[in-house]
Amino acid sequence: MLIFRELLIVCVLSAPVFAQSGSLGAFTDSADVGNPARKGSTEFNAATGQYRITGSGANIWEKQDQFQFVWREMSGNFALTATMEFLGKGEDHRKAGIMFRQSLDAASPYGDIVIHGNGMPGLQWRGNQGEITNAFDLPFDGPGKYKIKLVRNGIGITTWIAKDGGELKETARTEVRLQNPVLVGLAVCSHKADASDTVVFSDVSIDQFAPPAAKK
Amino acid sequence: MPYMRELLLLCLLAAPCLAQTANLGLFTNSDDVGAPPIKGSAEFDPATRQYRITGSGTDIWGKADQFHYLWREMAGDFAITATTQFLTDGNDHRKASLMLRQSTDTDSPFIHLVIHGNGMPGVQFRSTKADNTNTVDLPIEGPGTFQLKLVRRGSTITVWTGKNGAALTERGHTANQLGSPVLVGLGVASHTQTATNTVLFSDVSLEQLAPPAAGKK
Repeated sequence: MLIFRELLIVCVLSAPVFAQSGSLGAFTDSADVGNPARKGSTEFNAATGQYRITGSGANIWEKQDQFQFVWREMSGNFALTATMEFLGKGEDHRKAGIMFRQSLDAASPYGDIVIHGNGMPGLQWRGNQGEITNAFDLPFDGPGKYKIKLVRNGIGITTWIAKDGGELKETARTEVRLQNPVLVGLAVCSHKADASDTVVFSDVSIDQFAPPAAKK
Repeated sequence: MPYMRELLLLCLLAAPCLAQTANLGLFTNSDDVGAPPIKGSAEFDPATRQYRITGSGTDIWGKADQFHYLWREMAGDFAITATTQFLTDGNDHRKASLMLRQSTDTDSPFIHLVIHGNGMPGVQFRSTKADNTNTVDLPIEGPGTFQLKLVRRGSTITVWTGKNGAALTERGHTANQLGSPVLVGLGVASHTQTATNTVLFSDVSLEQLAPPAAGKK
């Protein structure tokens, strides 16, 4: 029995090694979007439930994006919640967060909640393929450990934020017409082509909601 | 020919003065945008410095707008502040707006800080002519009297709200490319063509801001 337990621990500990070949926890795939010069990576630690995501790329902005993405497909209404923290230093506007994206195309429509390196939370979205990114940046008081939540309800996308263990609060909502299925995941971008940033995401949870009653 | 030019200049300079005689307080013009079937109006009370604006129209939304607008032209950086109170019942999504707008075309680019009838604050914008409207809805606090403030500094628009006399709180900012000069004013829409919506705007201020120091982002 003791031996069995040892084996189990070994398996758990080796999970990050296998993550590259498919064990991505709640997600199914990871890849760089927009072909950044520096390759990104995603490692899932099954023991801690944490995702360690390293991403490079010019930005998630304007008409096209470069970043590391780990995702799964979902349809209908859902929410993704995660607590995230940047490791090390980097650009003020390096970004990490939760993204709902139509496709892996660099110019794909998307909606996201990101925390910038300086702590500024932002709701961002590209309404149509190849369009300029829109952003609504929220007031902030510096870097920290952020719990963030992004909810899809029909065409509505709602953001929730809490800093350093505070209470999760709804902050803003926008509308993005994404078609089912949607790529639902975590994104990391260094905001600089010749740099990489690593972000640890913990307490990641995904909720699938029942279809809403007819409304509006 | 130089004489002609002087005359033209005089006309331009006189325009705001003439507008004052229309008694619109801080603003120079008022009109319906998008030709709603029920005409709107804007009245300024010099004693209370309040603006009573009645507007109809389907909405300020989608690719074209219908509402009543009271405005003046401003250039550079500025702040507009007003306290809004809905005087009529109506659609949950009837709107009172602090609006920057390219032109009075129904499908003009614009950005506004808006309070809906149900108390939902929002920042909405149309980036290019005849484009769809984008929206950022802020959490609903329920109906009430809202103090609203919108500041433009360069390409950044920052918004504040304060409900029922509470202090103004910053709610966020977005980037905007409306250019300069721009129409700055107050808007009212009923969210239906078959009714009007009247909003009282109090403590309205327009403040021209000095250009920011160089060397910042």
